[in-house]
Amino acid sequence: MLKKFLSVRFWLTVGLICSVLFAGWSIYYKVKDWDFNLTPNQTTPVWAIESHLTFKPTNKPIQITLYRPDGSRIYKILDESVVAKNYTVREEKDKFILTADPQKKDQSIYYRVSVYDNKESRGKIKDTQVPTIKAPDFDDTLLPIAQQILTLSEEQSGDSVQKLIRLINQPMPDETVITFMPERQDIRATAHVLTKLLALKQIPARVIRGITLEEGKKTSVPDVMLEAYDMQGKRWLTYDLQTGAIGIPENFIVLQRGGKSLVDVAGGVDSAMKYSVLKSVNSSFGMAKYRAKSARQENLFTYSIYNLPISQQNALKWLTIFPLAILIVVVLRNVVGLKTMGTFTPMLIALALVQTGLISGLIGFGLIVGIGLAIRTGLSKLNLLLVPRISAVVIFVILIIQVCAVLGYVYDWRVATSVLFFPIIIMAWIIERASIIWEEEGFKNAAKEVINSVIVAVITYFIVVNPTIRHIMFVFNELNVVILFIVMLLGTYTGYRLTELKRFAPLVKKTDTNGRK
Amino acid sequence: MSWFSKFAFPWQLKKAGVLNMNKRNYTIIAHHNKRNLYPLVDDKVKTKQLANDIGIQTPRLIGSISAQYEVKNFLNLVQGYQNFVIKPAHGSGGKGVLVIKKYTQNHFRTASERVLRYREVYQHISNILSGLYSLGGRYDTAVFEEMVDFSTEFKNFSYQGVPDVRIIVFEGYPALAMMRLATKESAGRANLHQGAVGVGIDIQTGKAIAAVQHNQPISFHPDTGADLMTLAVPFWREHLTMAAKGYEMTGLGYLGADIVLDKERGPMVLELNARPGLAIQIANQCGLATILDNIEHTYPKNLSVDERIDYILNKTNKTNEK
Repeated sequence: MLKKFLSVRFWLTVGLICSVLFAGWSIYYKVKDWDFNLTPNQTTPVWAIESHLTFKPTNKPIQITLYRPDGSRIYKILDESVVAKNYTVREEKDKFILTADPQKKDQSIYYRVSVYDNKESRGKIKDTQVPTIKAPDFDDTLLPIAQQILTLSEEQSGDSVQKLIRLINQPMPDETVITFMPERQDIRATAHVLTKLLALKQIPARVIRGITLEEGKKTSVPDVMLEAYDMQGKRWLTYDLQTGAIGIPENFIVLQRGGKSLVDVAGGVDSAMKYSVLKSVNSSFGMAKYRAKSARQENLFTYSIYNLPISQQNALKWLTIFPLAILIVVVLRNVVGLKTMGTFTPMLIALALVQTGLISGLIGFGLIVGIGLAIRTGLSKLNLLLVPRISAVVIFVILIIQVCAVLGYVYDWRVATSVLFFPIIIMAWIIERASIIWEEEGFKNAAKEVINSVIVAVITYFIVVNPTIRHIMFVFNELNVVILFIVMLLGTYTGYRLTELKRFAPLVKKTDTNGRK
Repeated sequence: MSWFSKFAFPWQLKKAGVLNMNKRNYTIIAHHNKRNLYPLVDDKVKTKQLANDIGIQTPRLIGSISAQYEVKNFLNLVQGYQNFVIKPAHGSGGKGVLVIKKYTQNHFRTASERVLRYREVYQHISNILSGLYSLGGRYDTAVFEEMVDFSTEFKNFSYQGVPDVRIIVFEGYPALAMMRLATKESAGRANLHQGAVGVGIDIQTGKAIAAVQHNQPISFHPDTGADLMTLAVPFWREHLTMAAKGYEMTGLGYLGADIVLDKERGPMVLELNARPGLAIQIANQCGLATILDNIEHTYPKNLSVDERIDYILNKTNKTNEK
């Protein structure tokens, strides 16, 4: 028992389990906080909203309050900036306060913010604290009408809020509604009245301001929606003021909840706000940095490979797939039992195949080995020493590659151009070895070994070429550690290889097989 | 179904006690053969000296060449010898071995009746030095030794080439033995995967018990037609003793001894191998794992070579066969 605990295999198994747990944990957080995806080429739209405030100063000290989006909830803020000359900018949790001495000229202030949608948290704003309701200030004449409207709304469908919204949006509204409600177009005023009506029904409600994000949108007024508190779910539900539909529309960005306006200007008149929206599409992967930042994992990200310059990341994309290719070679050699030329030759051929494409790569490989073997046969007649001979083969391989590349280009045979990607030294050794085996053990054995290597290469190719697998191996590079332990554990595998089941089959006594029947 | 029946199930092989490659490497070689002992058997010159020191006969050394500039003088080296064998000191599996039966200044007749020019022999030696046949491609030494004057005992059992006996020795005890016979197909070589015939030899009697070619049981030599079951190795005790001494000589717990029979000098060790292959099991139609297991756990320890051989030869119940 003790022996079992102290065995290499035991510790390697422990290591494997630990690495799997670590990878699981790490992958979970990478997906959750950094939004790494299991599939490549995911994109996230990024919206840049520019608010342009203009007003005329009134010769008094100026104080401007700009409400900023509450970034922690529905969407994440990538970047924000205030452009305001001569102003002192103070940042608070939900607003910027700009102060300045009295000014003479017309003022112009820009506030830019880039946000991206944080889809998971959309429309799920939990608030366990029941908000207090401000008693509506209806006078004696309005109160009965308000109550009448509430009664009328009972005929509509939906929950209390939806009933109200649907009542006032009827194509032919009731007389009472027309007298009570403000102009249909003034949606802000409508929303305001609705909150008062809901207060009468003891439902907390508030107006939310935001912008419906549309490509290239320019507007001077923010869009408005209504939010009502859901007592049962202990959360805020957002309602469309025209249809009563619940939920924040896909492209709606909330800038402010409750409150009166998005901007307050003291010391100025004729203030006007203009909003413009620009959409840009970023790869989700490129956003990881910002996501890590907002998840307070900046250091983790800084010391990860994803913080490297793109060119280095591309090189690492290659490297991180190697362990998988190595694992395949180990399995095919030690568990399946295929004999190949050189340990990692098939793997290198496979990686070349990824760049050339399977069919043209195999033809290119055949071309080099075929022509190389023919030349090598000629070379052996010259009785050269080993090192100069293999060097000559290397140079011949380079020459073959050049000729193929040129012919391939001129005659537009893409197949021939593929030869450029094969590692020359490896090719030279394949030719040298194949030719020696051919001389010593016959053509059959030489062909067998070359074909075996190609089979292993093709199997490796099919796994390595899959963009999803490559993406996963790069994005979740902790899998490299898992593979390391699998490879080491395979180093203690003492069972039969698949090929041995055939090789040693004659050793199984015939009586044994008969007895089974 | 017929294709499928070519395969055995792993548990069937396990029941038959078949040793597999991974287990050989991991459990047997890694635990019984210390890495630092490998050079003793990987270098044929060293092996020869060690063997001679301990009183094991080997083909006599003529000389060796280890620098390219000496290659041109190789004829001086073999002066006075009628025939000779050139081998890479670090070769394996018979690669790079050239047997010259007869020669003049420019013509060299090999054992397989090929005639080589001086240039070609020169080239061959030069290739050996460059490391073409050595493990890992290191620079190597070409070893010249006397050709074994093969006993005519096995004349009908081999098509050209050198019939040799391979004995697996575990912890000093001979475990399995086979004779390798060259065929036309194997071009005079004794490698089973090239089509040579493997004959399983009873470890107690030195007589044939089974024979295979290409993994399939056969009874007659494909070229000479000799009845392989009549094969019996003379001086069997000497064979066993010689192989078993390899344990004292090298300290390797698991080794393969290749022994040839010389007409005049009797059995001689050709080479020792620290990683002997597994084909011997097929030739014997018998698994090796059970035998090794028995040796490790039930055979007495710390016996002298002769005591061990006595133990083997006098064992009545052969535990390795059911």
